Amino acid sequence: MVVDRRADFEASLTRTAELRGDQAGGALQRASLLRDAVHRFLKNRAAVAGAIAFLIMVVFVTITPWLSPHDPYAIDFGKAYLRPSWDHPFGTDDFGRDLFIRTALGGRVSILIGFAATVAIMLVGILYGSLSGFAGGALDNGMMRFLDALYGLPYLPFAILTLAIFGTVNFWTMVVALTVASWFTTARVMRGQIITLKENDYVRAANALGARWYRILFRHLLPNTLGVILIFVFLELPGVILGEAFLSFIGLGISAPKASWGTLAQEGYSSYLAYPYIIIIPSLCIGWLILSAFFVADGLRDALDPRSQEA
Amino acid sequence: MSTNGAGAPLVSVEHLKVYFPIRSGIVLDRHVGDIKAVDNVSFDVYRGETLGLVGESGCGKSTVGRAILRLYDPTEGRIVFDGQDITELKESQMRPLRRRMQMIFQDPFASLNPRHSVGRIIGDPLRAHGLAKRGDLSKRVRELLQVVGLPPDAGSRFPHEFSGGQRQRIGLARSLALNPDFIVADEPVSALDVSIQAQIINLLERLQGEFDLTYLFIAHDLAVVRHISDRIAVMYLGSIVEISPAEELYENPLHPYTIALLSAVPIPDPEVEAKRETILLAGDLPSPANPPHACRFHTRCPYIQPTRCTTEVPALRKLSDGHVVACHWAEEIKAGRLRPKEREAVAEQPLLQPAEEPPPV
Repeated sequence: MVVDRRADFEASLTRTAELRGDQAGGALQRASLLRDAVHRFLKNRAAVAGAIAFLIMVVFVTITPWLSPHDPYAIDFGKAYLRPSWDHPFGTDDFGRDLFIRTALGGRVSILIGFAATVAIMLVGILYGSLSGFAGGALDNGMMRFLDALYGLPYLPFAILTLAIFGTVNFWTMVVALTVASWFTTARVMRGQIITLKENDYVRAANALGARWYRILFRHLLPNTLGVILIFVFLELPGVILGEAFLSFIGLGISAPKASWGTLAQEGYSSYLAYPYIIIIPSLCIGWLILSAFFVADGLRDALDPRSQEA
Repeated sequence: MSTNGAGAPLVSVEHLKVYFPIRSGIVLDRHVGDIKAVDNVSFDVYRGETLGLVGESGCGKSTVGRAILRLYDPTEGRIVFDGQDITELKESQMRPLRRRMQMIFQDPFASLNPRHSVGRIIGDPLRAHGLAKRGDLSKRVRELLQVVGLPPDAGSRFPHEFSGGQRQRIGLARSLALNPDFIVADEPVSALDVSIQAQIINLLERLQGEFDLTYLFIAHDLAVVRHISDRIAVMYLGSIVEISPAEELYENPLHPYTIALLSAVPIPDPEVEAKRETILLAGDLPSPANPPHACRFHTRCPYIQPTRCTTEVPALRKLSDGHVVACHWAEEIKAGRLRPKEREAVAEQPLLQPAEEPPPV
């Protein structure tokens, strides 16, 4: 505690000195808004812990497959259901495949699907929401009523339906299904942001000087929503990963021999009484990632919220 | 600077009405009434002059300014810019004209995009009209910064690094970028400290001479308006009650509302201040959704007469050269035959309905 206070105090001294430098004609702090945000984020311990946990998981799933001596797809019934040991830290499954490397590979799939779907959700949501909010009037009204109608449909049946329409489950159909089922909230939030921002005088100024509408939307409005978008990436990610895990768990996931965390958990379900580690490990991985992403989102919100700038 | 009708007006506003619909109901979205923000306003702005537009908050003065720039669509009436009727022009037809008419905003913090560098903000008008190549652009930006009295290296900084007065200079540079003829200055100094106000006002005056600008200067501060304006129009509740050359208005105000406004301006002389008579207006500004009938000022007028005021709409009448007033009794007031009376606020019958907040004007 004492050490922390001291570090804070020293940091504030440095900052004061920098400010004095400004007044003496030194270079102004260019990105002081961004710097303040970074500073606030780093002071939030839960957020930093979340970010570190998130990174650890990403590093684990990235490098393990390169380092592990085992073949994730080699079937050897002689090694089936081995308990966790030094050779197989997470044990082996019913086909004798090493679960350490399979968990890492499954994590790759889960996280990649999560990121790809989040990016797709952001693109669709931002486009739909900002157009709706920017246009206003009858178009906005129509677009929002359509969204309300979609909101009425339950999340997972919607994703299942989409997968059923495609007929196959692979990486990209999974991304599309998750996107279709969960872009609504982003669209709503973006609409709200744009509606608030477009009342600003600088938007009126852009109008008065004859800027075309897309210039106003893309140059003036969207860049000002970057903070919110960043927060939403980390808020959407856990939901999408959980959605993918659920779909995989009920058998609509990436098919064998490939796996995601959801399919790994599903494989462990049949023998959870005798070999609980097979289902517990991928479940813990999902929980780990979701929780760390939530903490990061929370920290980002506190750091980027302009209202907390005085603090 | 021409004081009155020399030459053709640069901007003519004829019977301008701007109504904002009041809607209610979730499903049907019924139109239940209008906020009459601007109701039948006519005036001319002549080339090279500064027309001051004054009135209390919510009287519609900003709405007039924005309607002239077609940021709001007029409900009725005509706006003529340099001989061309721009009332019905589509946005694409307005674009070339927007190069000639610009706006300066009240709030120097809200009017600059916080994510854009100053150079980008000032260069934005040029880019929006596709007028500048990269090299020319930064040269022009430095030129503009110099014109408004900012250091040339300000271009690479961001708005939050500047004070209110400096930001207003940035806004000014942006509005000058396209070499406009006409600038609507919407309370450009109201948000600034008094000492800074003078700097900005002087800058505006200098630029007017340098670039042949015509200003519509909107303000609620009579002292500021007096300093910069050639003529002054006074607005009350969506309509103009008096237009007059600036000095004439201060020496010889004729509309009771103008008289009351001027009597409220503090005079920096304790003896005069102690002796003079101030007129306190009774009551509040009536709702622009349901303005008083006949003369709109009759609910608060200290000169109200038993006849005409509550039954007849006063027209703008010319009393002397360039001085028009919308009061039935202006001659009597001018001759000193009428004296202000203390009075209670009179509620308009039927009682004013509490209308929704008018949109921010």
